[in-house]
Amino acid sequence: MNIVVLVKSAVDEAELRADPSGHPVLKGAAVKMSNFDMNGVEEAVKQKEANGGTVIVVTLGGADAKKAIKEAMAMGGTRAVHILAEPPAAPDSLATAYCLAQAVKRIGDVDLVVCSEGASDTYQGEVGAMVAEFLDMPFIAYARKVATANGKVRCEQGLRGAVRVLEAKLPAVVSVVSEANVPRYPTLLQVMAAGKKPIEEIPVASLNGPDYPETGTEVIDITIQPADRKKLLFDGTPEEAAKKLVDALKQEAVL
Amino acid sequence: MKLFGAEQERVLGSLYGAEAAEAYGSLLRSLSVVLEEKVSPLSLALDQGKGEIKVPRRVLFDQGVCRLPHAGEFGGMGVSFGVYALAMELAGAADASTAMSFGIHNTVAEAVATFGSAEQKGRLLSALLSGKKLAAFALTEPTSGSDARSMHTTASRDGKNYVIDGSKMFITNAGEADLYLVFAATGKGHGAFLVEGTNPGLKVGRALKEKLGMRGSHTAEVRLVKCLVAEDSLLGKEGTGFDQAKRLLDSSRIVMGMICIGIARAAYVKALAYAKGRELFGRKLSDMQITREKVANAAIETSAARLLCMHAARLKDVGKPYSSEAAQGKVFAAEMAVRTCDAAVQLLGGYGYTSDDVHRHLRDARLLTIGEGTSEVLRMLIASQELERER
Amino acid sequence: MTGAVLSYSESAELAGEVAAAGAEVATMLGTDAVALELDEMSAGLRTSGSVVVLKGDRALEAIADSAASGILEFAKTKGFGALLIGETRFGTMVAAKVAARLKVGSLGKGKKLRVDGGRLVLERDAYGGKFVATVASKLPCVAVVQAGAYRATDAPPRAVETVTVAVGEPKVAIAETRHGQERDAGIKSAAKIVSAGRGFAKKEDLALAQDLASALGAAIGCSRPLSSDLGWMGEEAHIGLTGAYVHPQLYVAIGISGQLQHVAGIKDSKIIVAINKDRQAPIFQVADYGIVGDLYEIVPALTKAVKQG
Repeated sequence: MNIVVLVKSAVDEAELRADPSGHPVLKGAAVKMSNFDMNGVEEAVKQKEANGGTVIVVTLGGADAKKAIKEAMAMGGTRAVHILAEPPAAPDSLATAYCLAQAVKRIGDVDLVVCSEGASDTYQGEVGAMVAEFLDMPFIAYARKVATANGKVRCEQGLRGAVRVLEAKLPAVVSVVSEANVPRYPTLLQVMAAGKKPIEEIPVASLNGPDYPETGTEVIDITIQPADRKKLLFDGTPEEAAKKLVDALKQEAVL
Repeated sequence: MKLFGAEQERVLGSLYGAEAAEAYGSLLRSLSVVLEEKVSPLSLALDQGKGEIKVPRRVLFDQGVCRLPHAGEFGGMGVSFGVYALAMELAGAADASTAMSFGIHNTVAEAVATFGSAEQKGRLLSALLSGKKLAAFALTEPTSGSDARSMHTTASRDGKNYVIDGSKMFITNAGEADLYLVFAATGKGHGAFLVEGTNPGLKVGRALKEKLGMRGSHTAEVRLVKCLVAEDSLLGKEGTGFDQAKRLLDSSRIVMGMICIGIARAAYVKALAYAKGRELFGRKLSDMQITREKVANAAIETSAARLLCMHAARLKDVGKPYSSEAAQGKVFAAEMAVRTCDAAVQLLGGYGYTSDDVHRHLRDARLLTIGEGTSEVLRMLIASQELERER
Repeated sequence: MTGAVLSYSESAELAGEVAAAGAEVATMLGTDAVALELDEMSAGLRTSGSVVVLKGDRALEAIADSAASGILEFAKTKGFGALLIGETRFGTMVAAKVAARLKVGSLGKGKKLRVDGGRLVLERDAYGGKFVATVASKLPCVAVVQAGAYRATDAPPRAVETVTVAVGEPKVAIAETRHGQERDAGIKSAAKIVSAGRGFAKKEDLALAQDLASALGAAIGCSRPLSSDLGWMGEEAHIGLTGAYVHPQLYVAIGISGQLQHVAGIKDSKIIVAINKDRQAPIFQVADYGIVGDLYEIVPALTKAVKQG
């Protein structure tokens, strides 16, 4: 089974700082594999272990995306395709999805495309569905359980309190939620071996065909959210602290 | 606490060059994520006598840290000792007791890999590297620590076997270990013997529970009473035991030094976080000059300790003599760790004194100016090498 | 003239909110607002604009594929300036599919829409909610509207029209449906919320949070681990980047460390209170008031103090 897993090299939002004007310092910002993508990679590797085959990691990003790619490889990826595009990698979800889909088409013979419910830094959760559209494949989202058999994929999907079991013919695109699995920690041996697995680099410009979606979408501005919180701590015994808190809340007229 | 951070990356870069540093960096970064998530959270409880050290220790084995400096034949990874040493700094920061227990086990693995016969390596090394068998290093005795050569434990020939009699003290992993490396005086000097934990002649005494620190690890007296071992349990040639011990301790001292650095970092990260939040006299504690001096000193000393220990590691990696450097590194790192952890308690004030999550680092560090070579005996070693050198 | 502003949500509650957003944007654009309902009209839909019920030869709201196809058919024939969809998992899928099929911009999900120079502009969370991004797209385009961002009007629709659309067979089939109870924790509209995190050792201990909530007259929510990994509370109680965004007057976070993913969902709270045993927990950086200590001692003390007034 040839499985593609879409991985995003996301900005490590915990480390991201703002400059004096409140804009994020993106240049040189720490990056990491998007948290939820670990579940995507785990799912892809599980499918490979169950059905045999290969796991091809596909990432759209700059040179620093290699770190996330290697992490995915250490978890069990067979090889990787790195679509090289310096940030901002793509203006919007649609353009991102287009590039990823083009890369998947180039890989050819793909049975399953796995992605996650959203990227940890931007969390819009649209790329998976859009990739499926560009590939003209069925799309099952928010899967908690994924099973493949007889040319079909069968997933359990959680949607507003109900659980549905959905089925589609392969090849298909599936996005998993973090409840789907527990991502494995690679051993040091696996991390070392990952360094030797092949990564194919494709410049993003080479993927853009006449059907590239020019949507005229742009990010006009990114500014830090103001967070002027008082950060007052009350100490003393639990009773004393509780009393002080209740008094403060009454002052705030929220009690 | 992020165990593998910018300072470790820079050290890797300056010691190994960019390309190797990137590869090693991936290893250590991956390890640090596992340590942060699976070992650090257990650390306080271990100090408080809750939980079992075998759980976090298993994490280190499963990750394959033990394999790093060994050749590939029995499951080693053939990565430099220096990278292993840095990994042990991370382990020390995650949990000191676990790092100590694991480090000592690795010394026995190194003993088998370096001095063992093909048969011994075939029989034991794979299990030691995977952690299937846990080892203990039994050199120190109730009446001989620094003066190890004067040990009273004897091993006398009995046909094709040896009978070991004596007593070893302050043995880490005692009671848990499957294999003990026991040093004994034979007729012709000393020998190092591989004794199975199940040997009826090996008796583990009362667990030493009143330790100041390193409370997660199991420490006890081990008595050898007419302990019968086969000929093939002797490591290397009879008479070379003491030299073997010296060489193994040289290596282990680098690791102990790195563990000290980890402990020191764990303590002052907490102190720094506190200083940034604590307000007094209208300012933050971290803004005060007197605090900044302490922060600078901690940074200077940690860097110095790390580079000294890594220097010894690099010398070892290229096959050069490193025993003085290893001793220097360990002396400095251990004393630095005690100073830094003490400074951390001071900075945290009342909270430092009353919180075992803070003072345990000082208590853990306090062992290492004593264990694996007291600062006094190591200074003797360093001085005698200095005096011997042609100047 | 620009095409109409279409709004849609499969959730009756959200549909009213999105319709209000649609009405506002339509006014800015000087065009009509049309609320879309699929398969049938939901009782009590509130919108000041007109409603179009789309019907096909198969259920449109069963599968995101069909819903997208149905809306697409209508949008193509009628023409549209903007399509606003209410934020649910289902809605997110539909928005993505429509945008991809039409190759129009998708602004993603946010809480504030405006029109500027003929473009639709959306403010949305970025980088775990630490920052806010302003995104713009030329028309026509798609946007997803967060729950609670707009308030539904209290007026019945002006006109209701039914339109038939032809959709093909969806690529995904429903093999089985296990209806859970569609529960509502009431957190999206609550004025006070008490929220529980990993600091609680076991499910039974949540009773402490319940007691406090009762004393305060608050709803109960939780951070993601409690609803997903541990299953102690339902998904409907999960507050955070991938769950619900809340905006109460008072938010009390108990035993919650304050990871960005959670904090993203509580930013609009008027007052945030944190109770955690770890002084270094990030939650204290985003709280107005905090108590460092054992929640098992502090929460009962707080409940008592609240009751004593």
